[in-house]
Amino acid sequence: METMDIWGQLLQGFATAGTPVNLLWAFVGCALGTAVGVLPGIGPATAVAMLLPITTQVEATASMIFFAGIYYGAMYGGSTTSILLNTPGETATMVTAMEGNKMAKSGRAGAALATAAIGSFVAGSIATVIVTLFAPVVAEFAVKLGPPEYFMLMLLAFTTVSAVLGQSTVRGLTALFVGLAAGLVGMDQITGQVRYTGGVPELMDGVEIVLVAVGLFAVAEAMHAVLFEGKTVDSENRMSRVTMTASDWKRSIPAWLRGTAIGAPFGCIPAGGTEIPTFLSYATEKKLASGERQAEFGTKGAIEGVAGPEAANNATVTTALIPLLTLGIPTSNTTAILLGAFQNYGIQPGPQLFTTSASLVWALIASLYIGNVMLLVLNLPMVGLWVKLLKVPKPQLYAGILIFATVGAYGMRQSAFDLFLLYGIGLVGLVMRRFNFPTAPVLVGMILGPLAEAQLRNAISIGEGSALIFVQRPMSLAILVVVVAVLLVPRLVQMFSRKPMEAASGNA
Amino acid sequence: MQAHAPAQHSPYLQALVGVGVLLLALALALGAWFIPSDAGYGGVGPNFLPWVVSIALGGCGFLLIRKARRSGYLHMGDHDGEHPYWAGFAWMSAGMLLNAALITRIGFVFSCALCFVLAARGLRNAQATARLGAKSWVIDCVVALLIAAPVYWMFTKFLGINLPGLTESGWL
Repeated sequence: METMDIWGQLLQGFATAGTPVNLLWAFVGCALGTAVGVLPGIGPATAVAMLLPITTQVEATASMIFFAGIYYGAMYGGSTTSILLNTPGETATMVTAMEGNKMAKSGRAGAALATAAIGSFVAGSIATVIVTLFAPVVAEFAVKLGPPEYFMLMLLAFTTVSAVLGQSTVRGLTALFVGLAAGLVGMDQITGQVRYTGGVPELMDGVEIVLVAVGLFAVAEAMHAVLFEGKTVDSENRMSRVTMTASDWKRSIPAWLRGTAIGAPFGCIPAGGTEIPTFLSYATEKKLASGERQAEFGTKGAIEGVAGPEAANNATVTTALIPLLTLGIPTSNTTAILLGAFQNYGIQPGPQLFTTSASLVWALIASLYIGNVMLLVLNLPMVGLWVKLLKVPKPQLYAGILIFATVGAYGMRQSAFDLFLLYGIGLVGLVMRRFNFPTAPVLVGMILGPLAEAQLRNAISIGEGSALIFVQRPMSLAILVVVVAVLLVPRLVQMFSRKPMEAASGNA
Repeated sequence: MQAHAPAQHSPYLQALVGVGVLLLALALALGAWFIPSDAGYGGVGPNFLPWVVSIALGGCGFLLIRKARRSGYLHMGDHDGEHPYWAGFAWMSAGMLLNAALITRIGFVFSCALCFVLAARGLRNAQATARLGAKSWVIDCVVALLIAAPVYWMFTKFLGINLPGLTESGWL
């Protein structure tokens, strides 16, 4: 696609996203996203999932702009909580919490909040430019991929989401296969064969994504809170004025840019997860700091340690939209649910999206620029307002979440059966939460599973019944090699790095 | 202050999770058995993925049990040291299940309010150090209605989502 063409499309997107109604959706989305980001116990994935029923009523562009606002806003809000509250939040903001908390404790909460918000804005905006420029290019390239290549890309996503990113490979894989199993329930897309419904008519159309997402996150979270967190006391750090000194700016700007440079590429590859880029950014900042500043890390709290990871996080989250939009491959809980939202409209994200739903895609991209500006305003001058949300008492918070969970679960299909199912899925989620099973593989497996199955069948039929097709096509073979490498390299490195040490200790 | 010794993650419970996964795998395999293998075209039938998932989950279940018996799960995070508070869990479960059973009969607003009050009771008791008075019940009931009713109006009136009401008026 020509550059001029992209420019024209983007302007068109701004025209669509800039209508008063769509601006309102974006604003409500950003505000709601910030709120759910700030509130402990509910994240963007849960919020979008609970609101999925609106896809039956609201027009596609408006609701995608709305969901994107939530997706984005939660990233901004999440850092506020991790800086001010002394409880580890979600993994995405864990690194921010390390330094941000220390800064807040030494009376610099305001500076930490400011560098997080402005850093998120800088990284988000740069990453949106990357999405604007590269997504059409990737889409154009992706058109040339056939079913074997797609299947391999999905296999890559499955592998990285389950086996590589989490702390335990076995638990990650278990979660993935549970998700794939959930995706099997209902009518098979190709043959119309009914699978695993047990004669329950409600299960014919499959298990709703809303149920699984809301059950695994919201309900399980509430159950975990009542069972195990009753006596946990949260302590809150004192707020201070949200400003940065000249020296803060001087230290933050390079950290933001480095964080963006580290984070953006990680989102582009269909591997997902913000843990690796944020930790990498943190390690980089710590290494680059010298003397007095390095001593601040882990003691008084270094501003670079907030600025870098926060930028990396937002850059990754933003560029993760490239594989989602151009390949139809989600790599996190939230992008998996966004894919589900597209599917509710009968839209299948993939390379054709940029031609068949051009106006929707470009409005979505334009709304990212708009949303970033809105969020900066919402989070800098108005941060004090959001902080009040931390005062909501736990019993009312979780009980309230259950009301919204009911809206999401019941609103989708108007079936009370789904509410019982929701409770059951909540129990499964509770066990997973208690034994530290990751949840992203379940969602990704459930949503991507049926698509991968279809690609597998198409690929095999292209190969005239032979699975050799996957190694005969260079592109698919190349991705297969990457999949194998992703699985084996970390283990080999571990094995080889252990051996010399064992030998050394054996000799001693 | 802790009344008991810190709770440990019991290896039995961990093994039980593995057994659960194994049972799920068996159930899936049983189901896969009854799915016709009719491949249509291309040679991969609708029973192919079910078999793959059953076998893989079986393997995972086996590995989880082995892991639990040998070293226990690693990276369990900050969970240790807390005893589950089952009474609170029972309150919350009652709330959710009654909500599921009653929502079509007494309508969204009252059913959800009931769920809220019961769940909040469980959570309050989990936190409580002293006995809670009647006042907290009243507060919960009021807050429940103040959340449930506007949520009902917002979703049914503005967003056109169908939620069950007690009356035909659309307001309750």
